[in-house]
Amino acid sequence: MSDTLPLLRVRDLTVTFGGHRRKLSAVAGVSFEIFEGETLGLVGESGCGKSTTGRALMRIVEPSAGSIELEGTELTTTSGKGLRQLRTRMQMIFQDPISSLNPRRRIRDIVAEPLDCWHRVEGDERAAIVHDLLTKVGIDPDVYGDRYPRQFSGGQCQRISIARSLAMRPKLLICDEMVSALDVSVQAQILNLLEDLKAEYGLTLLFISHDLAVVKNVSDRVAVMYLGKICEIGPADTLYESPEHPYTSFLLGAALEADPDSPVRGEVLSGEPPSPLYPPSGCRFRTRCPNATNKCAEEEPPLVEIAPEHRVACHYPLSTLARR
Amino acid sequence: MNEAKLLVVRDLTTTFHTPTGPLRAVGGVSFDLEQNETLGIVGESGAGKTVLARTIMGLQPRTNVEVSGSVLLNGFEVVGASEKQKRSIWGLQVAMVFQDPMTSLNPVMRVGKQIDEVLRVRLGMDRHAAKARAIELLELVGIPSPAERYCVFPGELSGGMRQRVVIATALAGSPQLLMADEPTTGLDVTIQAQILNLLDELKGRLRMSVVLVTHDLGVVATRSSRIIVLYAGRIVEIGSTRDVFARHRMPYTRALLEGSPKISNPSHTRLLAIPGRPPNLANLPRGCAFAPRCSYASDRCREERPELEPADEVGHAFACWHPLPLTQKIPA
Repeated sequence: MSDTLPLLRVRDLTVTFGGHRRKLSAVAGVSFEIFEGETLGLVGESGCGKSTTGRALMRIVEPSAGSIELEGTELTTTSGKGLRQLRTRMQMIFQDPISSLNPRRRIRDIVAEPLDCWHRVEGDERAAIVHDLLTKVGIDPDVYGDRYPRQFSGGQCQRISIARSLAMRPKLLICDEMVSALDVSVQAQILNLLEDLKAEYGLTLLFISHDLAVVKNVSDRVAVMYLGKICEIGPADTLYESPEHPYTSFLLGAALEADPDSPVRGEVLSGEPPSPLYPPSGCRFRTRCPNATNKCAEEEPPLVEIAPEHRVACHYPLSTLARR
Repeated sequence: MNEAKLLVVRDLTTTFHTPTGPLRAVGGVSFDLEQNETLGIVGESGAGKTVLARTIMGLQPRTNVEVSGSVLLNGFEVVGASEKQKRSIWGLQVAMVFQDPMTSLNPVMRVGKQIDEVLRVRLGMDRHAAKARAIELLELVGIPSPAERYCVFPGELSGGMRQRVVIATALAGSPQLLMADEPTTGLDVTIQAQILNLLDELKGRLRMSVVLVTHDLGVVATRSSRIIVLYAGRIVEIGSTRDVFARHRMPYTRALLEGSPKISNPSHTRLLAIPGRPPNLANLPRGCAFAPRCSYASDRCREERPELEPADEVGHAFACWHPLPLTQKIPA
C-alpha cells in the first residue's frame, strides 16, 4: 500500500491558539497519510487535539505550521478560489447533527446548497440529484423533502448531513464524532449506512471519535492521539490486539466492553492529562506512564516503525519491555 | 421476606400532564433491590431511566405530575410522602449522583462547604467536626491533597474530580442506597474507569446498594449483578447480568447488545441495526411498544401488550410474545 501515493499526506501539522503571552499547541506536529479507499480512525480523550486536527485539514482553523497535501496539491498555501475548489473534494460531518443544519431551510435545499454554490446543475437535474442523495441515506424525499431540520430526530439529521456532504462527490470525508450524540440503535444504523456509502461512492474517511469500539468497527488503520501528538498508529486489528504504546494499552484497558465475561483488565490509568498550555518535556505521556525513565523526560520519542505500517512514539514499546 | 429487601418498587407509574396530553414516562415498573447489590438500569434516551430514578427518590416536580404505585425504601413509603417526610430519608438513606457534575455543584461555593452543608444540616455536626469529616470524605473518594481541595471552587476542578466531589457529598450522610444517574457520561474513558472502580470499591467498603442508570451496556456489564432493560417506560427484560447478556429473550435486548460495536470484534463487523427510533411516550402504540421496530412482530404484538413472564432462570423475566430461542453461547 505504501507504494501508492496517499490521498492525503499530513506533515508536522501544528495548530497553535493564543497570542504572544500564552500559547496553546492543540496539535503539536502530527504526521500521517490516508490512502485512497481506506478509513483512518483518530482516537483520543477530550482535549487531545483530534477535532482540531480534523478542522485544520479543512482549514476551518488555520494551521500554524506543517503541510497538508491532498492528491499532491498543497493545501496550506492555497487560498481564495483555489481553496474553495479544493474543499469540494473533502467534506466534513460534525458531531451535533441538529445545529449543523440551517434551521430555516428545507432539507431539500440544505442538501442542494453545495450544488447551488458551484452552479453545477439546475432545475430537474438538481432535483434528481437531491432526490437520489436523500433516498441513498434512507430519507424519503417525496414525504420529507420540504420539512425543516427541527422536524427530524438526531439520527435523521445526521443522515441529512451525510447526504449534504456527498452532494459534491468528495473523495475524502472527515467525520468528527458523528455518532457520539446518538442512541445505540440509531448509532448502529448510521455506522452501517456509512460503510455502505463508503463502498458505493468510493470514499476515503478520516473518522474522529473518542469511542474505541466505534473507531475499531469502522477503521482500517487507527491513530491514537495524546496531548496534541500521535503516540501510535497502525492497522486497526493489530493495534487493538497488541498495542505498543503504554497509553494505548491503558486506553484499551479502561474501555468498557459490553460483555460480562470480558476479562477484568489491568490497572487503571491514574491522574488526568496535563494542561496543553504547559506540556511536559520529552514524552508527553511520561507524567502518567509507569515505565517512564529519565530518558523520557529529556528526549522526545520519535514516531518510528516497529512493524510494517505500525508506528509508535515511545522509547520503550511494550513488546520490547516484555522481552527484557 | 420483604423486610430483608432494601427497596421494593411495585407498579410504579409516573405520568406528566403536558399541554398536549398525558405523557406516561414510567409505566408500571416493579422490582426489588437487595442489600449490598448493584442493579443496572439500561435504556436509550427517552426510555424513562432518569424519571424512574428520580421517582424512586421522590424527586418529581410538584405540579403536573401524577405518581402511582409504591416505592418502599427500608419500610418508608416514598410515593405520597410529603416533602418534609422525604427530607428525613434524603441523604441519610438514599442519595443521588447526577450526570453533570458541574450543574449539581454550586459554582460559587467552595467544594468543602458543600459537603459540610450535608453534615451540618443532616447530621447536626458542628463546624470543626464537619470540616474534618468533609476532608475525610474527600480523601475517601480519592481526591489528592484533600485539605487543600476543600477550599477550591468547582470550576477549578476537572470533570472527573467534580464527579468525585459529588460522590463525596452523596456519601456524607452514609446512605444505604446510592442512585447514580449516568455518573460517567461525558467523562473520558480512563476517567470513567476510575469513577466506576471508585463506586465499586465504596459499595463494598460502606456496604451500600447502588442503582446504576446508564445508556451504556459496557458500564453495567462487569459492575452490576442484575440488569433491568427499560423501553418506553416499561421493563422489557430483567435478570442477572449473565442471563441478560447471554440468555436474553427479548429482541430489543439483543438489538442493544448487538447494535453496539465491540472492541473484541474485528474491524468492519456489520452491526445489527434495528430500524426506527424509540417511540414518542405521549403517543404509544396499543400493543408492545417495540413492535413497530421489531422484525418478529405479529398482529398480536400490535394489539396486545405482553406482560413480564418468568424465564427458565431464577429472577429472569421478559415481556415478549415471540421470545428469541435460547442459543448456546459458543465459546471463543
